[in-house]
Amino acid sequence: MMKYVFTFDPNRCSACSSCMIACTDQNDIDLAAGEKCYRKTYDTEIPLDDGKVYCAYLSTACMHCDDAPCIAACPVGCISKDPDTGFTIYDNTNCIGCKSCAMACPFGAPRYRKEDGKMVKCDGCYMRVKNGMKPACVRACSFGALDCVPEDQVTGAYSDKACNVLINQAGLRRKAH
Amino acid sequence: MTELEKKIKAKIPGEDTGIEIKRSLCAVCSPGNHCGLDCYVKDGKLLKVEGTLEHPYNKGKICTKGASNRDYIYRKDRVRTPLKRVGARGEGKFEPISWDEAYQIIAEKLNAVKEQYSPHSVAFFSGFCKWYRPILHRFCYTFGSVNFGTDDSTCFKSTDICHHLTTGRGGNGPNLPNANTFLGWNYGGYYSNHLAVPGAQALKERGGKIIIIDTRYTPAAKNLADIFLQINPGTDGALALGMAKIIIDNGWADMDYIEKYTYGFEQYKELVQKYPLDKVCQITGLNPDDVFAATKLFATNGPAAINFSASALAHRTNGLQTNRAILCLSALTGNYDQPGGNIPSVASYLHKRGGFDTREMEFRESKRPHDQLRIGETRFPPWDEYCDEFQAMDLLRQIEEGTPYPVKAIVGFGFNAKMFPETDKLVKAFDKLDFFVDADMFMSYTTRFADIVLPSCSSLERGEMKAYEGGYLTFTKPAIPPLYESKSDVNMLCELARVMDLDDDLLKAGYEACCDWMIQDTGLTVADLKASDLPVKVPGAKPTVPGEYIKNGFKTRTGKFEFYSTAIASYDPKYGLNPLPDYVDPLADENDPETKANYPFHLIAGARIPNTLHSRLHEVPWLRSLRPDPLVEIHVDDAKRLGIGEGDKVALSSPHGTIHLKAKLTSKVKPGVLMMAHGYTEANANELVGRNHLDPYSGYPGFKSLRCAIRKEAE
Repeated sequence: MMKYVFTFDPNRCSACSSCMIACTDQNDIDLAAGEKCYRKTYDTEIPLDDGKVYCAYLSTACMHCDDAPCIAACPVGCISKDPDTGFTIYDNTNCIGCKSCAMACPFGAPRYRKEDGKMVKCDGCYMRVKNGMKPACVRACSFGALDCVPEDQVTGAYSDKACNVLINQAGLRRKAH
Repeated sequence: MTELEKKIKAKIPGEDTGIEIKRSLCAVCSPGNHCGLDCYVKDGKLLKVEGTLEHPYNKGKICTKGASNRDYIYRKDRVRTPLKRVGARGEGKFEPISWDEAYQIIAEKLNAVKEQYSPHSVAFFSGFCKWYRPILHRFCYTFGSVNFGTDDSTCFKSTDICHHLTTGRGGNGPNLPNANTFLGWNYGGYYSNHLAVPGAQALKERGGKIIIIDTRYTPAAKNLADIFLQINPGTDGALALGMAKIIIDNGWADMDYIEKYTYGFEQYKELVQKYPLDKVCQITGLNPDDVFAATKLFATNGPAAINFSASALAHRTNGLQTNRAILCLSALTGNYDQPGGNIPSVASYLHKRGGFDTREMEFRESKRPHDQLRIGETRFPPWDEYCDEFQAMDLLRQIEEGTPYPVKAIVGFGFNAKMFPETDKLVKAFDKLDFFVDADMFMSYTTRFADIVLPSCSSLERGEMKAYEGGYLTFTKPAIPPLYESKSDVNMLCELARVMDLDDDLLKAGYEACCDWMIQDTGLTVADLKASDLPVKVPGAKPTVPGEYIKNGFKTRTGKFEFYSTAIASYDPKYGLNPLPDYVDPLADENDPETKANYPFHLIAGARIPNTLHSRLHEVPWLRSLRPDPLVEIHVDDAKRLGIGEGDKVALSSPHGTIHLKAKLTSKVKPGVLMMAHGYTEANANELVGRNHLDPYSGYPGFKSLRCAIRKEAE
């Protein structure tokens, strides 16, 4: 199976949120109806042990985990892996709105849409990727913070930037209680 | 879902999905940008936008605001038809009328003012998005009025005038590809000029050094800075003079360059002696070691380029001289018009430098009347000399006082009353007008006060000419038809010229004829440009070559780079203007003991955030969702002291007014400093700014340095 991964460089991000707007545009997310964008940015000030403050600028969405717990959690088999991209995709025709996927996800990626009572989430723009395009959020990032590349192109230091390094980084820097 | 249904849902362009990519440009922000846009269109509906990868200017990149184009264009409050006011001014009651009726009313009212008073009593004013300026400018002159004004009265022009005074040529760009050090003075980039970031990133990646000087700890300070100087607001001029002293004292000045190319070095050297490091640090709140290290890096790790911004420093009552003090550092170190320094260039069309000439200036100058003073003329001498527009910061006074002659009508395109200090007084003064017409895409705060409102279309619904760096010209085609009964601003003006039968055959021939006239020396026609979906290379366009300008002498009175401005020295001493770029306290007019005690905070109004641009985007739902409430940023220690918590309701007040908003606690600004975005109707920062809190050189308001008080309000 071919696999694409999202990469993120926290030292290029400013939480400008163009990725969120592009995701909203791409997926027709109805913010006015209370829907939430599949991607979320963070502009967070984290107090450090030395009294200084670390300003974290982050952008997160579905991590498209290898062993995605949401897939197993869904009782009606809505969620699957796309063989061409490795992204965690879904067909919510049969979704019963039980939110098991959301509870299984450590990142809060699946969203429950009140309008039709079904789950929605980031599908990695897998149809765009299959058609030779970048995901909408990546395409909108002017600073090279977000990217989406075949897994075999992620090498060396670059792999540190993959997936949830941002969370580790923020966690490590959090003030000890 | 079938494969085709999936493709349609994913908006994949192609014959099977019926989705077509049409090329346009984003005109949400200033024509200084206007990025190429791919519009995904099906059945005349816009489905989504992306930056155009093949576009020579933005190379596929668009910003947060540009990414919102679909939500912007389909805003529910678009003006749909021409409207005539039926309620009281400001009440917001209008009835739809036809275009013919609108033109008839406008013609009748403007001609009545012309006959009863004079053509100059009609002021023509352009707000955003500026693209129609050459046509409006000529229309104004052909009508017979000297009074063409724009939002340049508060943006861009101050920095431009500073450069003209000092170097004889307008704004310059930092030549980052050849620089070793970038002095990012008030460089924000990420939230204000996204295309300026990749160049700074590239410089850093190849080992170049970056100094960021700002009042807040920005993403640029975090991601790019080797040295970050968090300066007290409005004290940048003192820092620049202090840096100059360090540079001269340590023998880092480029004496060959100074002798060959500059004027007034001895007076300047004497001036900077007034700014020893300890005094500078007292004023700026900086650490002496940091200032020394930054100065050494800038002066000894050249070539070094400096960032100049259109508004950040100019929005202070000491703004123009601050920019002059900074610009002097470029010549002091021999970096002005040298590779890796700051390279001056000349605009081709609408402030864009294309490396070719158009007849934009002649297009309007040939029709300019000379029989009256412009609004504000004689109040700000450098403005009068270097800008052919009225200084709109005197508009309120002239409407109220009627001197030296009355202003009785305003023809506005995107007129934004919230740009003006004491906005409430300005809209009240509209009652003294006989007529106010405003063209806009949206029912704005300002259109409520108009007699006639005209529906403008967006850039995606029209064709327009545009120049780009690298020698390019383009003429776009509409990606979608104009919504409702909206029209392109320039078509309104050319049609109105016909209805009024103005003595101007070119204007009456239409926008494309005007463009053809302006680009007649380029070897291209509008038809040539329209044949391409992408910008076209102008034959013979020349890149700006470093050193080319100064080779034959500066276009100043002395032919040199002027540390000592002979232009300023030539102005009447009654204005009290200083030919040397000395530092003045940005709150000098608000420092009496009572004001100081009652308004202890330093407010920076108008600091950029990613989801807003002036007043234009607050009502775009996608963008508003990123920051739903108007917020004032306050340092966590100040907030604690005042018992203010995150999201608490607070009141900000100045001697001029009070506004209500919510608090955002942060460590990114210094204690004693408050920061907010501007342009909100429900929390308009300009209600706090006094109409005379102005830079005496440019007439620019001190939006970003004023005294205010903050208090927590009951829930």
